[in-house]
Amino acid sequence: MNDDLREKFIAIVGTKNARVNQEDIAPYLREWRDRWEGKSELVLLPANTQEVSQILALATETKTPIVPQGGHTGLVGGGMPDMSGDAVILAMGRMNKVRDIDTAGNTITVEAGCILQSVQEAADDVGRLFPLSLAAEGSCQIGGNLSSNAGGTGALSYGVARDLVLGLEVVLPTGEILNDLNALKKDNTGYNLRHLFIGAEGTLGIITAAVVKLFPKPKGQITAFLGLETPAAALELFQAARDFAGQSLTAFELMPRLGVEFTTKHVDGVRDPLTTPYPWYVLLEVSSGESEDHAQSLLEHLLENQMEAGSVLDGAVASSVSQSKDFWHLRESMSESQKPEGGSIKHDISVPVHAIPSFMLDAEKAVLDIEPSARICAFGHLGDGNLHYNISQPVGADKQEFLAMDRVITPAVHGLVLKYNGSISAEHGIGVMKRDEMAKIKDPTALDLMRRIKKNFDPAGIMNPQKVL
Amino acid sequence: MKVLVPVKRVVDYNVKIRVKSDDSGVELANVKMSMNPFDEISVEQAIRMKEAGQVEEIVVVSVGPQQSQETLRTALAMGADRAILVKHDDVVEPLAVAKILKGVVEEENPGLVILGKQAIDDDSNQTGQMLAALLGWSQGTFASEIEISGDTAKVKREVDGGLQNIEIKMPAIITTDLRLNEPRYASLPNIMKAKKKPLDEKSVGDYGVDTAPRLTVVKTEEPEGRKAGVIVGSVEELVSKLKNEAGVL
Repeated sequence: MNDDLREKFIAIVGTKNARVNQEDIAPYLREWRDRWEGKSELVLLPANTQEVSQILALATETKTPIVPQGGHTGLVGGGMPDMSGDAVILAMGRMNKVRDIDTAGNTITVEAGCILQSVQEAADDVGRLFPLSLAAEGSCQIGGNLSSNAGGTGALSYGVARDLVLGLEVVLPTGEILNDLNALKKDNTGYNLRHLFIGAEGTLGIITAAVVKLFPKPKGQITAFLGLETPAAALELFQAARDFAGQSLTAFELMPRLGVEFTTKHVDGVRDPLTTPYPWYVLLEVSSGESEDHAQSLLEHLLENQMEAGSVLDGAVASSVSQSKDFWHLRESMSESQKPEGGSIKHDISVPVHAIPSFMLDAEKAVLDIEPSARICAFGHLGDGNLHYNISQPVGADKQEFLAMDRVITPAVHGLVLKYNGSISAEHGIGVMKRDEMAKIKDPTALDLMRRIKKNFDPAGIMNPQKVL
Repeated sequence: MKVLVPVKRVVDYNVKIRVKSDDSGVELANVKMSMNPFDEISVEQAIRMKEAGQVEEIVVVSVGPQQSQETLRTALAMGADRAILVKHDDVVEPLAVAKILKGVVEEENPGLVILGKQAIDDDSNQTGQMLAALLGWSQGTFASEIEISGDTAKVKREVDGGLQNIEIKMPAIITTDLRLNEPRYASLPNIMKAKKKPLDEKSVGDYGVDTAPRLTVVKTEEPEGRKAGVIVGSVEELVSKLKNEAGVL
């Protein structure tokens, strides 16, 4: 980039809000799983929608690639620039205002750079629930959550990010501002454009603000950590729990013994909630709109029946919020606890819920056929049919050698996913990680339509190039 | 030996509390309630002593409204054997609680009473000490280690600036501090078993205690919120602010 252009970009946000030294830029290029490398010579921190608009207009005019970045917690490399160093990173963190809260309509209007947790807290302050919840919530930003259509643990009863959005404000690559910040539940006026930007991973424009839905806060909530024999038993329990508790079943997370061993070993403050080990665990949460007592009695009846039926072998029930936080902490640190165990080949897959037990049996066989000492740590949102099918290296193996087995292990796992009519990216997105693979397996008409949309919205091809398509 | 463990139902430690609009106290309607964390530590201690063969029976007792039953059930699910609920709907101050507990002790004849050092709702830190005085028993407060041998108890106390080791005569009152242990989770089979464990209901009248408050709450206020910080432009500005605004130089 020539100095003249750089100065023009910097002038839009002001020198104070531009990062030009490599030392200051480094944090924006550090990817927390150390999987991707990227280069950039300029990071811009816009304060408002107008500045974003000016930046994109200039970028389109000069064909400068733009990489939008939120909390930089993505898992598929969607927020990383490539190695050319040509891209300008647009970090959204300064646009972090809550513009409006409407307790009559139960909506909140937030800017893209709001940290997810602060959106949850703003909702909580007015006695409402914003149900999007995921492990990175303390640092990820709502703009990134929407751009990647995040899922998380609340998806079971409240849906994924897409289901929570009523309106968006988006800056298009040309600098035009799409004002679709309506807060209406019912609005059938033409094409619903917002859904194009949700899950587009910043390839069609930049989401600068959103109106998202709030919900009544549950009056009672109770969490249990259960020991089970097999994923089939977990599926049986899930069906029973949903039949019994209906919408009150607000979380259902499956975890393997290995994951509990990893977290108790590597993560501070985590201990095994049960005194005896079990092959599988389920974290189950019941919420009630009525009362604590109601939640408690729902849970206890359900679990008593299921212990008699034999699907649940043992369990611990949280008797305070801090105990329930302990259980969630265990579940949410499962990802990071794999890092000290060496290389890990990760998959974010979904299959129809009923197929989870047979998929897991098939996948285990396929993986162990390739590497008999591989350690499978498959966990996740069983109720959504979504598993993080992660495989840790054999103890003592060479990390790089194991990671190179990705080339055989991933096609084997993904092959089974497709056999069961599943998805190779359930909630993390495509980014750069799964771009080529998606191109191979996605319906050709769908791919063609996506490319046409991209070309139409972003004729200069500046928005997050090389991602998704 | 029999151990008596008093437990209190309080607003859950993790709940953000709100002051009632008339400043008369803390809002308790629709708020998550749990066992006082220090009492959980006391229950855990009693269970460990039972597991070690030093204790035959653990009796838990609570003074409070009907819902305190849930707190007692939690203690039973952790491993206590029997529960007593002394029903009382209004505020009870530490002295009244200590007098009621004295009555319970006289009925039950435990060799040891383990209490939390304080309840996290009113932070009084008085009941254990008052009970010891009323009974004329020895007391080991703020315990982070307890060792019973024969008719003496060795207690490691958490005091300002360090630890103090004392030896006290049994029967005794011990109040527990945070570092004593990490309470267990109630297991599902034990929660089911706890439903069948005996829970007796008593009234304050059974112990002939006058619970009329001796203190009057004048006003309850939320702590002042933290003021936003400022970024100073220079050392000179910092020094001037410290001198003129903060008045610390």
